[in-house]
Order: sequence, then structure tokens, then C-alpha cells
Amino acid sequence: MKTRIHRRTLLKGLLGGAAISIGLPPLECFINANGTAYAGGGSSFPKRFGVFFWGNGVLPARWNPTSEGTDYALSPQLMPLSALKSDLTVISASRVLTTNSSPHLSGPTGLFTGDAIVGGTVTRPSIDQVLAAEIGGETRFRSLEIGVQRSDNSYSYSGPNQVNPPETSPRAFFNRLFGEGFRMPGEMTAVDPRVRLRRSVLDAVGGQASDLRNRLGAADRIRLEQHLEGVRGLERQIARLEENPPNLAACRRPDAPPEAYADLEGRPQMSAISRAMSDLMAMALACDQSRVFFNMYSQSVNNTLFPGAPAGHHQLTHDEPGEQPMVDAIVRLIMSDLAYFLTALRNVPEGDGNLLQHSIVLCTTDCSYGRSHSIDDYPLIIAGSGGGALATGRHIAARGENACKVSLSILRAMGVRAPEFGVGAGRTTDGLSALSP
Amino acid sequence: MEPDVPLGGSVSVGAASTSISRRGVEQYEALAYDLAEQLLRTEARRARAVGCTPTGTADATCAETFLRATGRRLWRRPLTDAELNALVTLAGNAATTLNDFHRGLEYALAAMLQSPHFLFRAELAEPASGSGTARFSPYSLASRLAFFLWNSPPDDALLTAAAEGRLDSEEGLRAEVERMLASPKLNRGLRAFVTEWLGLQRLDAVSKDPMVFTSFSSDVPAAAREETLSLAEHLAITRDADFRDILTTRETFVNRRLASIYNVRAPSQTRADGFGLITLPADSPRRGLLGHVSVLALAAHPVSTSPTLRGKFIRESLLCNEVPMPPVNVNTALPEPSASLRTMRERLIQHQVDPTCRSCHLLLDPVGLALEHFNGIGAWRPDDRGARIDPSGNLDGASYRDALGLTQTIHDSPSFPRCVTTRLYRFAYGRHETDGEEAEVGRLTQDFAYGGYRLRRLMSSIATSAAFRRADGVAGRQP
Repeated sequence: MKTRIHRRTLLKGLLGGAAISIGLPPLECFINANGTAYAGGGSSFPKRFGVFFWGNGVLPARWNPTSEGTDYALSPQLMPLSALKSDLTVISASRVLTTNSSPHLSGPTGLFTGDAIVGGTVTRPSIDQVLAAEIGGETRFRSLEIGVQRSDNSYSYSGPNQVNPPETSPRAFFNRLFGEGFRMPGEMTAVDPRVRLRRSVLDAVGGQASDLRNRLGAADRIRLEQHLEGVRGLERQIARLEENPPNLAACRRPDAPPEAYADLEGRPQMSAISRAMSDLMAMALACDQSRVFFNMYSQSVNNTLFPGAPAGHHQLTHDEPGEQPMVDAIVRLIMSDLAYFLTALRNVPEGDGNLLQHSIVLCTTDCSYGRSHSIDDYPLIIAGSGGGALATGRHIAARGENACKVSLSILRAMGVRAPEFGVGAGRTTDGLSALSP
Repeated sequence: MEPDVPLGGSVSVGAASTSISRRGVEQYEALAYDLAEQLLRTEARRARAVGCTPTGTADATCAETFLRATGRRLWRRPLTDAELNALVTLAGNAATTLNDFHRGLEYALAAMLQSPHFLFRAELAEPASGSGTARFSPYSLASRLAFFLWNSPPDDALLTAAAEGRLDSEEGLRAEVERMLASPKLNRGLRAFVTEWLGLQRLDAVSKDPMVFTSFSSDVPAAAREETLSLAEHLAITRDADFRDILTTRETFVNRRLASIYNVRAPSQTRADGFGLITLPADSPRRGLLGHVSVLALAAHPVSTSPTLRGKFIRESLLCNEVPMPPVNVNTALPEPSASLRTMRERLIQHQVDPTCRSCHLLLDPVGLALEHFNGIGAWRPDDRGARIDPSGNLDGASYRDALGLTQTIHDSPSFPRCVTTRLYRFAYGRHETDGEEAEVGRLTQDFAYGGYRLRRLMSSIATSAAFRRADGVAGRQP
């Protein structure tokens, strides 16, 4: 039989009730204790949450606006976002307070999970997955993870060692969303009997595991559970196919993007891929295929050769002398790709407003000044207001504030009754008050 | 296909603590149906695989025959009656719905392929007779051996040996390990180990500026990996030679692309993939692993060399030294090349002066500077944009004049075989060694030396060691 699956993935067994072999950090914290989402309420359009992340930081002197409030002037690096100014809140001067022990990794981990890196991984799920657990159950996909730079890495974690790798091929993302199984609203035809069979197969897969579960140590049982949770998620996804899709006026099946985006002169087509992904994601959200996403534009420490740059991005952040004009050009290019993405969301009309207004997109990177890996003065942008739950159109200089306050504000704006966010130095029980509308 | 995520730089270690993401579950489902179709839709393959002719749309006996045999191979152990019954029922229901016996089997096969029993390797323990210790169950041990030596699931013979209790005895185990070491599948295990040891999977994502490195093209990374893997195979399996030769040998494998980067004649006799064995000239400044494009291009930047990354590679992968993380809040800019700072060595001087940088970079840069004659993709350069390159230095007190001297120093260092042993041990066990296991690694290293540093013998020593069978750790306690 021709099988190409070679998994080395190991589960360790139990002997007389005692776990053998490897120990993992305790995973109790994985269980979400953030309370439940408010049921329904307010706008009839769903709220969405997403992250837009890029690697290697900014140039603080050219990133931070010099004036504050609603009447502020955009900084040079933020200029590509000028057409979206009224939909954005720029937050400067806050700090990630968890330990900065790992260059590039500590900042986003602290912001997204509220804790430091322990033993090479996160201790808790990232904010997108906290929200996916709350609001992801109603849609075909609990959450969608995409990226532009080819990589399996991400800051989206369902728990320790549980990374959600990004899809970086526009065609594969298209097939997943709009290929077999996608139906337009009103397109309901007789359900293929094979859909039910697929579900019964997944049901059997879950059943097969029960005996194994009892023979595993606690850590491996959790890993097995996580896998089975994925299987159950797929079952739910298939169940959605047996239902009539929601009637959403803006939903269209987009054209399929090209099969591949070949490197041009050894340089990846970052902008072209990002824009194709943006259009697909906007339609995925418009068709309510998911309400949570993580867009991993580029990785921490990535050495991508951007157009016109004489060296890889990461190397330039460290080695380019002086004012770093090349690094500056790269950050502005990324901001223009971000502008395209946010504009694609804004172009989806929903009622009297648009999809971006009904969303909260947290846009950030892995440090402020790439050259020194500083996580003070953390670069943060919030796009969209979550249906009016957050203030927009302003620059907030949150001097010395805990950046996790922003994370907590977002959770609450998304309707989660969260008493706090983060642990240890990152912990906060208050949101950032200036974000209140 | 979703890969296992590396942990601490090791995929086999990462595999022991990561799970499968939701997207991974979706991908597995699609793949499971794809495989099931491939096997059961075409007449010829189906006849071979199923092994019985159904008497009608529903034929539980024929379905059971197929599922029992296939299940044993996929789950790497016999199925229990309950498991088998559930799958036969599933196949029957699907066959009835679709009015086709073989379509029905596809659904049961897809269920087996998506099962945690297939996707995960469950290592189950049982008490070792009389000793109060625990050992792996025979089927778990069979999987441990097969994934270690073959990077593949156990074959029929190995499963039969497990079933007949032959893996329980010293002689029986040795006989199976001998058979496995003689199998052509040993190449798969060796290649997986070397890929992980040297981080060669990262070659998939390497990018080089084609304006700077005009001889670099998109087929170079794969060719470079093939060179290193072929040489490892040649030394460890074909010749069963002293594995330390991987550092010093003038032999290597190239295709036309690599031959042009190395500026040597392309091999006259090649394998089907275009690679052939060549011997570099006696006066060649390039020898062994530290002259390979794979290593030199990986430990470099897209537009330039990086003595720091190369030093880090040598410290971590060849000597198993610990290199601390760089500190935060440090200005890391290098000065641009200028009249007074012409070479990389001169530009890196700040690393040696600044007390924050010094402690680590003293470990890294001087070692990496020995390889400065090899540019960012590993091609030879006589000078650095006209400036003379000084490749001399010393490694922990032993001084050398150039890259060949450094290579010989590493070859002669006791740290190198110890490091290879440590890395192979982690690969075999799927985890890092713990405190109680240093003695075992030491014992294996000594054995490696007694045996003339033959990697195959080291693989055998690990596979047949008492520790590899014990489920409660070498020291007889929870590791």
C-alpha cells in the first residue's frame, strides 16, 4: 500500500496508574476560565476578531505619532493607513511587562497570552484562541489561520505546544473555504449521503480513542483530547454542510487565485500573496465561515528579501546603519499591505455599516525597535470597533501601561465576561480606559 | 501534510509533546479518503489488497479479512475484537448506503487512517518479569525500533517477532536488529537522523539574493541536502567507515549544479538523480561537512556570510555546547565595511570588545571566521571584496591556521563523537536525555569509540541496549 504518512508523534503510556517517560508542564491553565460570551445581543451582524502580525518590529522614531487624541497626525510609517484613519486606534507607549527573555518571542507571547515563555513554549492559549473557544462554535471553521511568508510557525496557540500553523498558499486557502463543501446562501440542494458517512467515520474515530485514553498519562491524555477536539470540530464543520447556510447579502464565491506565486528573482511575492489572502479572508468572513482569524504576515526573525532591499529583513534591522531607510521602507510596505487587508474588510457592506466596523483587528509585531529587541513602547493598532464597543479614530499614548490591558479590553469588547487577563507581571484586571467609546 | 513541530531544535523530540492542529485534522481527513480511494478504486490494486471476493454488497467476512490484515499494519498491532467489529459495522453501513462493497471498505479504511492509533505512536508499558521494573510492550518496542532505524512503521516480520515473543529475549532482539540494520530501509532512518541533527529541513526555506549569488538557483537547496545525506549514507552504511570522516573526507556527492559551485568537474558516472561520487583534489581547501553548501548556506545570511551563525552551528550541532540566547536591549548593529573595517573579522571586533557581547561571541565568531573563505552559499572566495581573509584561530585552546585545521581539530576532539551519540540518542528516544541518563550516553560514546566510530554500530548499541527497552527510564525511575 502506498502510504506516505510518516508520523513520529509519540504518546506515552501508563503503567499501574503512573505516567511514564516525558513530563510536560501542567496544562490546567489551558482550560479557559474566562466565562462565557454574552448570548446574542445588540447588532444582528456577528462580531469578528483577528490578529494581523508581522515580524521584526518598527522604527519607533518613525512609527509613533507625535500628537495625541482624535486630531493626531499620522507618523511616516503609518501614512499608508491614512485612508483608514477614522477606523483605527493607534496605541503607543504601553509595555509588555512579562519577562523579556527571548528576543522577538517574548513580546507577542506576553501580549497574546499574558504570560512569559516557559520551557520554550506558551503556557496559555493566545487571545484569538480564547475567543475562538467563546465564539468559534457557531461557524463552519472555529478559526482561520493564514500567513504570507511560507512557514509553519505562529503565535496562535490553543495551549502549550499547540501551535495553529498558518495556511500560506492562496489556492489552498481558497479550496479549503470555497472548494468542495461550500454552498452559497439559498443554494441548498439534497444533502449528499456521503456527508453523513463522513460524520459517522469521525464518530468512530472518537470511539476508538476511549480505550487508549485510559492508558495514558495526564499530559498525553490532554494531547489526545486536543486531537479529538479537532476531530469533533471537523464533525461540526461537516454538520454545517447539512444545514442551510446563513443568508448574508455580501457573500460571494470569489474566483480561484493562481495555483502558485513563484519567487521573482529570488524574492517572494509578499504583497501579491498578501492581497490574494486578504480578498479571500474578507469573503470568508462575509460568508460567516469563521469569526476568528490570525493573519501571520511574516515571522519573527524572518530574513525575507523584500523588493529592493539589499539584505534580509532581520539582518537589516540589526546591521543597517544610521536611520535605517531600508528597514523603514519595509515597514511601510507591510503597512500598505495591511491597508489593503483592512480595506478589503471595509469594502464588505453589512447593514448600514461594514464588516470592518463589526470587527476588531489587533495589528502588531514582535518588538518596538528591532535593533535592540525592546518590548517597551510596544507598537499596537486596533482596527474596527467591534460594532461600537471600542473607540476608534485616535492615538492613545498609554505611557507605561501594561499592554495586556489592551488584550483585556478586546476580550470584553468581544462580549467575554473576563475578570482579568494574564498572570504574574502580565496580569491585569482593568482594560485600557482610553479605549472605551 | 502538517509536520511535527520541532522542540528544542528537534523534530523527533517535538513529536513527543505536540498535538495535531485543527487544520491538520482536516488535512488528514482529506488524505485518508484520498489514500483509501487510491487503494480500493482500481481493480488491480484492490484485488491484491483485499484478498477475497465479496459475495454481495454486504459481506462481513470478507470485510473482516481485509480490515484485520490492514489494521495490523496501520495500527502496528493486532486489532481487538471490539475494534474490528466496529469497523466491520461501519463498512457494512457505508456499503449499504452506497450500494457498493468496496466503497464501504473505503470508509472503514479512512476511519483507520484518521484514528489516533495510526496517527500517534502510543508507547505502552508492562511490568518486566520479576524485576519490579517496567518495559515497553512488544508491539511498542517494535514501533520504537522501526521508527528509530527505518523512520517507518514495523514490517510484517517485525510484528510477527513481537507477537511470538522473540523481542523479549536478548538473542531474538539482536537477530531482529541485525535484520533491520541490513535492510535498505536503514537509509530512511539514517537520512531522517542526519536531517534532524544538522537541521537540513531548514533548507526548504533558505533564501539567497540572486544578484549577489549568481550561481544560486531554486534547485540548489535540495541538491545541497542530497549531497550531505548521500555522504552520510556512504560513510555510515555503504562503507561502514569511521563516521568522524564526515568532517575530513575528500569524497563527496555532487550533481552538475553543485559541481559548478565547487568549481570541479561534474561526475562522469551518476545515479539516476544526477548525483555521483567524486574525490576532491588533494590540495582542495574544501573537505567534509564544513565544506558543504548545505551547512555553509544555512549558517549564513541571504546576502553575506555570518561567522556568528557558523560558529553557532559548530558549537551546537558538532560539539553540543550550549549557546545562551542573545540578550535583549542591546544595540546589535554591525559597522558598515569601510577603509579601516574591510573584512568581516574587522567589522565583528565590537563583539569582542563590548562586555555584554563578548562572553557569547567569543564562543561563536572566532570559530565561524575560519570559514570566511566560503561565501554565503558556500562557494570559495580568495578574498573578501579585495581584502585578505585571515581564517586562523583557536578552538578551546587548540589553534589552527585555516578551515582544514579547524575541521581536523573538531575531528580529533572527544566532544564530536559524544555529540553525535547524544543527538542519535535523542532521535532514538524522541526526547532529550535527562540527568540520570548521562551515564548511558557516556557508555554509548565509549562503545562508539571502541567500535571505531562506526555509526551503524552505534545505532545497533542503542537499539539493543537494556535502556531502550525499559519504560521507566535508565535509572529505573521517572525521567
